[in-house]
Formats: sequence, structure tokens, C-alpha cells
Amino acid sequence: MATNGRRQIDEDDEDIIDVDDSSLQNNQANYAWEEEYKRSWDVLQEDEHGSLAGVVNSLQQKAKRKRLLRDTDPIRRGIIRHLFIVIDLSSAMQEKDLRPSRLSLTFTYLEAFIAEFFDQNPISQIGLVGTKDGLAEKLTELSGNPTEHIRALKLKKFQESYGEPSLQNALELARSSLIHVPAHGSREILVIMGSLTTTDPGNIHDTIAKLTQDNIRASVIALAAEVQVLKFLSTQTKGTFGVAMNEGHYRDLLFEVIPPTAVTTTKAASNLVMMGFPSRSNESAATLCACHGKLTLGGYICPRCNAKLCDIPTECDICTLTLVSSPLLARSYHHLFPVENFIEVSWKDAGSTTACFSCQKSFLSPHKTSIQIQATTDAGRYQCKLCEKTFCADCDLFIHDVLHNCPGCLSQPRPKTDPRRAVHNGAGTPSHAPVVPSPLSGGPSRMILG
Amino acid sequence: MKDSSANDSNLLVIVIDTNPFEWEHASSPLRLNDALQHILAFMNAHLAGRHDNKLAVIASHVGVSSFLYPKLNEVDQPGSKQQTRKNANVYQNFQVVNDAVLTGIAKLLQDPRPTLEEKDLGSSKIAASLSLGLCYINQALKSDGMGHIKPRILVLTVSPDSSSDYIPIMNCIFSAQKANIPIDVCKIWGEDAVFLQQAAHITEGIYIRLDDPHGLLQILMFSFLPDVFSRNYLCLPGQDQVDFRAACFCHKKIVDIGYVCSVCLSTSIATSSKTWRQGHCSESKLIKTQHSNTNGNMN
Repeated sequence: MATNGRRQIDEDDEDIIDVDDSSLQNNQANYAWEEEYKRSWDVLQEDEHGSLAGVVNSLQQKAKRKRLLRDTDPIRRGIIRHLFIVIDLSSAMQEKDLRPSRLSLTFTYLEAFIAEFFDQNPISQIGLVGTKDGLAEKLTELSGNPTEHIRALKLKKFQESYGEPSLQNALELARSSLIHVPAHGSREILVIMGSLTTTDPGNIHDTIAKLTQDNIRASVIALAAEVQVLKFLSTQTKGTFGVAMNEGHYRDLLFEVIPPTAVTTTKAASNLVMMGFPSRSNESAATLCACHGKLTLGGYICPRCNAKLCDIPTECDICTLTLVSSPLLARSYHHLFPVENFIEVSWKDAGSTTACFSCQKSFLSPHKTSIQIQATTDAGRYQCKLCEKTFCADCDLFIHDVLHNCPGCLSQPRPKTDPRRAVHNGAGTPSHAPVVPSPLSGGPSRMILG
Repeated sequence: MKDSSANDSNLLVIVIDTNPFEWEHASSPLRLNDALQHILAFMNAHLAGRHDNKLAVIASHVGVSSFLYPKLNEVDQPGSKQQTRKNANVYQNFQVVNDAVLTGIAKLLQDPRPTLEEKDLGSSKIAASLSLGLCYINQALKSDGMGHIKPRILVLTVSPDSSSDYIPIMNCIFSAQKANIPIDVCKIWGEDAVFLQQAAHITEGIYIRLDDPHGLLQILMFSFLPDVFSRNYLCLPGQDQVDFRAACFCHKKIVDIGYVCSVCLSTSIATSSKTWRQGHCSESKLIKTQHSNTNGNMN
């Protein structure tokens, strides 16, 4: 086994390499945040050819699917979110334990995060707060425009890091903006902390109590180690807490924040929000836009004040009406009605299917696969409970993470067994479908969710 | 789109709407058989464009959607070629594709139709076909390590939009947009297909509604054959007006300024609308109760 071999060499050169592997093995959980970390190479078994490929593949597939299995019940989620990201800009962020450095990695990831966040939460807002030298500074105000935040992240002056961070100042600053947010939107803070210390002007526990009281959820990603006060902050405010072990793990922790969380309080009322649906216009002569003051040929016309704006979603610069389009609202639906998880097909039931329903990739036949390999690997087939079509692991992942449609269920005559569909048939269904000039018997914009 | 180059191979996924209710309608200006001649010529032209151009054809039928080419279990198997009798005068690839598409469609049309609910009639499974196409493209991109495959989707449709397909189609559009896959739409006749118009607009594809269906081949060749790279240098037909407005749930009127529920995202003209309030409330109640149920289970 390759890894064994290498470990042998390491032990031979133990004078040179001072990382003592054996002590790690005896005391697996050196740090509290490493408890979940298993030595995955210890569970590997070679197959009869001495190859690890099959086992490694199935481990990879398992890891892929782990992220998939999530709650598919239609629950109420905070679709309209208000999130402040607190970025530690102290000298601790210059550490190079995350490559190239904590700070530059954070900025790179945040750019991707912001793009992805607005992709999945199109009518939400983000604000950025930086903290350094004992002070907190707002890098951007709460806004729904991703380009604005990304531009701020690229500014040189925000990327300097020195001094000590101040957690309390940063939280108070974010709180002061979030308390004005209307009740139908969620209030969230995400703290990215590289430092192990904080210099605060007062008692941090008072701030935490205030956050809890104001119904603000604070999640923390620590880059160095678990800090008690950060953990306390997140547990008190029902947020999540994680310590980044490496670059990939850091990214995973960060991106876990993206799907909208279930609303935990019944207090959050369902409000009606006034929104404008501007139509796009093309003009033959260029006119000034209201947002940049530039001459442009086309744009979106605010239905209330007739100002021309370059892009939606945004707030009208003149009359502050929230401007969205119907596809943007539709983009949030998959959070409300996710695709059912697929079930794994075992080797003994695998004979009936030969290829993935959606991508036409052929499966390994159980008759051509030896018993030993079957014992250590999965059949690589995943079945939808509703339409009983079988998919490969790649499609399973793609369908649940990106597409949010089950191709099998869609390509059948409408199933009557789908409970969600049955439920929503009766209830009022939201509608953003533009009126379709169609000869269908049903009302044009009445549709069935699912 | 930005990093496309002239050396990329193109994967073209063609979705053909084979809805017999529309094709065989008395007022239809073009027969499916005639249209297929145009489409096959176009497919061959695509394959002839480059030696490594790839093609997938999906039929969007009434009630079902299925692959016509490549067929299940015949992916990358050279053996499949031997099934068809060889014609020395035809380039092998052309013949394989043409035979697969023709036999596939014939099979679809001969199949005893599954029992359909009334609302299924008259519309085809565009959402399902797009989902299949996107999965196929996802797999193709994965197996191509070099990133040389540039995928695009072409939808040839005759059916009107099916309003129940709205959300699945939107989901397809957003995943295509994310992966930078343009969705081209050719509406062979009939009213504008609003959903597909949005699809083309959002994914930066081309939407064309034919004035004369008999000129199908010409439009296909001139507007839809150019690959993603050459489109940078061509002046292709664009859309002047795309309707992005929402419809009020109760009045079915298109609104400029509406009130959107923060929970279920339904839209209404006015806060006082009674019917909508009832419908919308039952929706929010539904989500809420289910939520409290799950909470109860967890506790």
C-alpha cells in the first residue's frame, strides 16, 4: 500500500522529520475541531489486484453524496436575506498557514461567495464590514448589487491588514444596520476571524445578548483555532461555527452559508413587499442612465418614476423601489421545493439498469464485476423514488446541486403520486409566469409547483 | 464564452419538438417529415463542420422525452454502426445519425400513447428535454479534461408553452446560464414561446420565430450553425423586446408594480385583493405548518 510505504520511510527518517505520526494515531483528537477528522487511509483495503482505485473511487463518491443528502421537505425559508460579512483585517490575517495567505485567500473566496450568494438568493442583500486596529469600518453598505461588493473587495485600501481586530465594534456596526431591516427579511452576520484575540471597548457578552434579542443570527468561521467567545457567539445566536482546517475546508464552510436557512422563529411575519417589474427597452438614441450617469442605448425603465437603470435587480436610485424581474423570483423557488434525494441502488438490484437515464453513460455490469470489488464499492446507481429512473453519481450531484429538476419525473406523464404536487395543486400557487397566450384549458398563469 | 477559440469542438444538443398534435394539425404549414429533411441536413452540416464536432438529439414528445441519438447503450460503441446497412455513397456518421433520428421518431409516433391527462395534451416536454440535455452536457464536459468542448442547445419547437413547466424550465435556464451554455430557440410557427424567449435572452442564445416555415433550412444554416466562437464576429438576429414582467396571481394581469409575499413570493396587484389573500395565505400556512411539523419531529 502506497501510504503505508511512505509512512515507513517517514519513520526511518524520524531524526529529520519531527512530525510524529504515531502519536497522532494514539491521540487522534489533538484539537477539539479535529475530532471529526478520520484517518481515511486506515480504512482502505486493497482489492485482489493490489489496486486501490475502486475503493478510492467509492470513497470519493461517498464524500460527494454526503453534501447531497439534505432535507427535502418543503419548509419555510428566509428567502429575503440580509447578511453582513465581518472580515478580520488584523495582522493575524497575514499568516501563511492557508496559501497564499489567510487574507488573500479570504478575498478570493469572498468574491466567488458573493457571486454565488446572489445567484442563489437574488432578492437578498449583503454588506461588508472590516475590522482592524481596534476599529470596525463598513466597506460596503447593505446592497443587492454584487458588482459593488466585488469592486470594494478589489480596492487596495481595504486589503491592508494591521493591528488587532475588534469583534465587538464590528458586531455593533453590523447590528446597527441590521436592526432597521424589515421583519420579513432574515438578519444574519457571518464573521471570518483569523485572530485569536480581540480588543473590545466593553463587554462582548452584552453585544451577544443584544444580537440574540434582535433576532440576528451570527455564524463564525475561524481560521486559526476554536475560540470560546466566537463559539459562544454562534451558539447563542443559533448560528454555525467552524474552524477551517485547510483551503478546501474553508471554502466548504463559507459556501455552506449560501443556501437560505429555515426560518426558526414564527415571529417573522409574511409581509407584502412592493416591487417593480421594469421592462427592458432598446432606444435608438443614447440617453443618460440614473445609476451611473452614463449615456447608454438600452436599459430597464422603473415603472414608478420612469428612470432608466442599467441592470436589475437593484433599487431604483430615484424612488428606491425594489426592481426585480419574474425570472429572478423564480430563481428562488428551488429552495422552497427541492428535488427528492435519490436512493442508492445496491449491487444485487443493479442488473436491471445498464445506463444512466440522463447522460447515457453506461454503468458497470454486476455480472462483469467481481464479488470482491462489489463488496468494497457501490454500484454507482442512484434511483429517484418517484419516477424510478436510475442515474449515475455525476448526474445525481448535478441534478441536486445545479439543475434542481428530476429529468425522469419530468419526462413522464404527470405523476399523480408526487405528494408535493398533490398538495400544491389545491393550495394557491405563486405565479410569476408571464401570461402565456396559449390555448390551454387552465388559466394561463396558473401553474403547478414542483 | 470569453475563452472560446477556433479550435474548440462543438457539442450541439438538438431538442426536437415532435408533438403530433401540432405537427399534424390541419393548419400546420409544414409536415414533420418535410421538417425532418431540413433538420437532418442541418445536423449533417454541423457534423461536417469539424471532425470532432459532436451531436446529441433529444425528442420532446407529448408525455415523454427521450434521446434519439446517441441511443441508450450505444454511446461510443463502434458496433452500433454495423447495425445499419452500409451505403457507400453516404458518409458513415451522417447515416448513423440520420437512421437513429428517423427510427427513433418513428418509434415514438407508433407507440401506443400513454394515458394522458387533458392538460398534458397539446404541450410537449420541453423542460424534460432540456434537463436531459443539460445532464448530457454536464457529463460530456466532465469527461473532457481539456475543456475543448463548447456545448450549446438548440430547441426546435412548434408547441405553445405549457404553463405547468414554468419552474422546471426556469431551473434549466439558470443552470445553463451558470455553465455558459447558450440556448438557441427556433419557433417554427405559431405564437412566440415566452418561456423559451426568456431562455434565449438569459443564456445569450438566439431566438427566432420563422416567418415562413418552408425556409427552415436556410434559417438553421445561417443563424444556428455558427458556433460560439464565430458568433463573436457575426451579426446575428437579436431580440428587441423581452417580457420580464410578472403576472398577478388573482387577476392574471401583467403588473408593473406588484406586491410580493415575502414567504411564498407570489405577486399581486394590490394588497387588498381578497381572492389572492386567501390563496396566498393558504400557501404560507402550508409552508408554515409543514415547518412546525418538522420542528416537532426534531424535538
